[in-house]
Amino acid sequence: MNTIFDCKLLLVDDEPDLRGMLVEILHKEGFQRVRTAASCQQAKELFQTEQPQVVILDVSLPDGDGFSLMSEFRSISAVPVLFLSARDEDENRLLGLGLGADDYITKPFLPRELLLRLKAVLTRTYFPPTLRQSKKPLFRLGEAVVDLNSALVTRPQGQVTLTAKEYILLAKLYENRGSIVTGDSLCRAVWGDDLYGYENTLMVHIRRLREKIEPEPSSPRYLLTVRGLGYKLTGVVEK
Amino acid sequence: MKSMLRILGRYVGSAAGIALILLILNAALFLLWVTGAKQENGNSYRVSVIADGLAKEGEEYTLADSARQAMSVRYEWAMLLSDSGEILWSLNLPRELSRTYTIPEVASFTKWYLQDYPVYVWRHQDGLLVVGCPKGSVWKTGMEMPQSIMDKTILWIPIVLAANGLAAVLLALLLGLRLFRSMHTLVKGIEQMAAKQPVQLGTNGVLGELAAALNQTSRELQRQEIALQKREQARTSWIAGISHDIRTPLSMVMGYASQLEDNQELPRPAREQAGIVRQQSQRIKTLVNDLNLASKLEYDMQPLHQEEVLLAPLLRQIAADFLNGGLARPYSLELDVGESARQAKVLGDQELLRRAVYNLIQNSIRHNPQGCAIRITLERVNSCWVMAVADNGKGFDQELLDRLKEENSLTGMPSHGLGLTLVRQIARVHEGTTEFENLPEGGCRVVINLPPSS
Repeated sequence: MNTIFDCKLLLVDDEPDLRGMLVEILHKEGFQRVRTAASCQQAKELFQTEQPQVVILDVSLPDGDGFSLMSEFRSISAVPVLFLSARDEDENRLLGLGLGADDYITKPFLPRELLLRLKAVLTRTYFPPTLRQSKKPLFRLGEAVVDLNSALVTRPQGQVTLTAKEYILLAKLYENRGSIVTGDSLCRAVWGDDLYGYENTLMVHIRRLREKIEPEPSSPRYLLTVRGLGYKLTGVVEK
Repeated sequence: MKSMLRILGRYVGSAAGIALILLILNAALFLLWVTGAKQENGNSYRVSVIADGLAKEGEEYTLADSARQAMSVRYEWAMLLSDSGEILWSLNLPRELSRTYTIPEVASFTKWYLQDYPVYVWRHQDGLLVVGCPKGSVWKTGMEMPQSIMDKTILWIPIVLAANGLAAVLLALLLGLRLFRSMHTLVKGIEQMAAKQPVQLGTNGVLGELAAALNQTSRELQRQEIALQKREQARTSWIAGISHDIRTPLSMVMGYASQLEDNQELPRPAREQAGIVRQQSQRIKTLVNDLNLASKLEYDMQPLHQEEVLLAPLLRQIAADFLNGGLARPYSLELDVGESARQAKVLGDQELLRRAVYNLIQNSIRHNPQGCAIRITLERVNSCWVMAVADNGKGFDQELLDRLKEENSLTGMPSHGLGLTLVRQIARVHEGTTEFENLPEGGCRVVINLPPSS
C-alpha cells in the first residue's frame, strides 16, 4: 500500500442510489477498491472476506444499527470507521464518536467534505505525518526568508532568531496564512488558555515579530492587524 | 393567603357589627316598651284622685265627677274599708267578694290580688280605699334584689354587654375559621391547578360541591395538558422525521450537483447551473437543520450543553470565520466589543449562540444582495450582555417585522424568517430576549439580550 488510494473501502448503506453515487465519487477521486453492502449481514460477510482498511457506515440499516456493527468490527480489528448518518442529534454524534468512530458525517453532505475527511482518516491511520514530514516550512515574506526549522529569519540586513513565543505566533499565523487568526486563538496557542488579559502582551510580541520580519515595522505589509478581531499573515511565498 | 385573611377579618368584623346593631335595636325597643308601660301605668296614681274625690256628705259617701272619670279609665270597682275591716262605701262591688276583711286579708291583697282582681289601695281619712281592676288586666310582681347587687348595676350593664359582644365575635371567629379552613384547601387547589399539578380535594363540608367542581376542572386540564404534550411531541417527531427523510435525497442532489460542477468536460454554463443547484441544496440543508432545531427548542426538548461561554472571543471567531470564508465587497463586517463587555460571560450553549449570530449575519448578507455594512456590537447594559447585529441594507418588511415582534411560536412562524425565529428561540432558552427593529437611517438591527452568568 503506497498511497491512501490503495486502501480497501467498505461502504455500508441501505440506499442503492446513494451507494451508487458514492462509489462513483470515490472511483473518480482515485479509490479503486470499493466494496458495498446494503445490510449488516452483508457487511459482516464482506468484512470477513475482504478485510477492508476503512469502513464508511450508515447508522440506520434494515437489520440493525451501525453502532453495534462498528463494535463488532472493532472487536476483531482496529479498522477506522466513518459514520455517515441522517441522524444529526448530538446524542447520536456523541454516541458514535464515543464508541470510537473516527469521524461522524451527517447527511446531507458535500462529496468534497466526505473525501477530505476520509483522506484525513486514512492519512492519519496509515501515513502518519510525523513519519512522513519532519521538515517544517520555509517561506518568503518579501525580502525576508523565514525558516521555521531553525526559527531563523534571513533578511538583507542579516539574520535574526525568533523567540519561542514569536515562533509559535508565526507558525500559527503561517498555518492560517491569508486568513484572520483571532487574538484569542493566538493567546491560546502561546499561553495555552484564552484567559483575557494577554491582549497587551500579545501586542508586544506582535510588534517584536514585526521588527524581525517587516521591512517597515510601523507600516506592516505582511503581518496585518485586523481591527477588533486579530491578525493576518499575507504575502507568503512558499519556497 | 392574604386575601383569605382579609376575608376572615371582614367576616368577624361584620359579625361584630351585627351584634352591635342588634344591641342598639334591642335597647331602642326596650326604651319604647318602657315608655309605653309608663304611660299606662301613669293611671295608677289616679287612685289618689279617686280617694280625694270620695267625700262623706252626711251619712252618704259621694264620688266627685272628676274621680268618677278617673275611675272609669281603668278601674272596675271600688270600696272603702273602715279601720275595723267593714265596707263603708262601695261602687260596682262584685258579688263574690266578702263584706268584711280581717287584717291578714287586707295585708295579703294589698300587695297582690283580691280573689284574682288586681287591686290598689290608698289611705282615705275614713279608712282604706280599695279599687279593683278587671280580672286579668294587670300583671303584678314583687321585685327584690340584694342591695349590694343593685349598687353594682351600673358596673354590670357594660360588662354584660361586653360579654355579649365578645361572645358574638368569638363565635364568628370560630365559624369563620371553619369556613377559612375549607376555603383554604380550595385556594390551595386552585394554586396547584395553576402550577399544572393534578388536584384531588376532599369533597366533604360546606364547600364540597365547589371542591368537586375543582377536581373535575383539574382532571379536564390534566387531560388537555397530556393531549397537548402528545400533539407537541407528535409535531416535533414529525418535523424530525421529515428532516431525517429529506437528508438522503438531499445528499444525492448535493453530491451529483457538485460532481457536475467539478466536471471539466461540461460546458461552463452547465457547470455554473450545477453550482447553483449545489448552493441551493446547501440552503435547503441549512433550512432543514434550522427547522429541526427550532422545533426542538420550541418544545424545550433540546438539552442545553451548558458551559461558560466568553462572548467576545466567540464573536471575534465568528467574524473572522466570515471574513476568512470569503466575505468581501460589497459587504463589510465590523466588530465592536465595548470596554465594559470584554469579559462578557454567559452560561449557555456555545454552538447555539454561534448559530444565532451566524444566522443574523447570514440573514443580512442574503437579504442585501447589493451589499451592506454589517456591524456587530457587544456591550453591557444594566448588567445584561447585549449583542447586536446591524446592517445598513434594506431592512425588514413591515409584515415580517410585525410577526417577529409577536412573541409567539412556530405556529405563526414567518415562512422566510425561520432563521430569525431560531435566533429568538436560542435567546429564549438562554433566558434572554430579542428585539427586531428597522433603523431610521435604513437597514435593520437585531438585539440579543443575555443575562450574565452568576
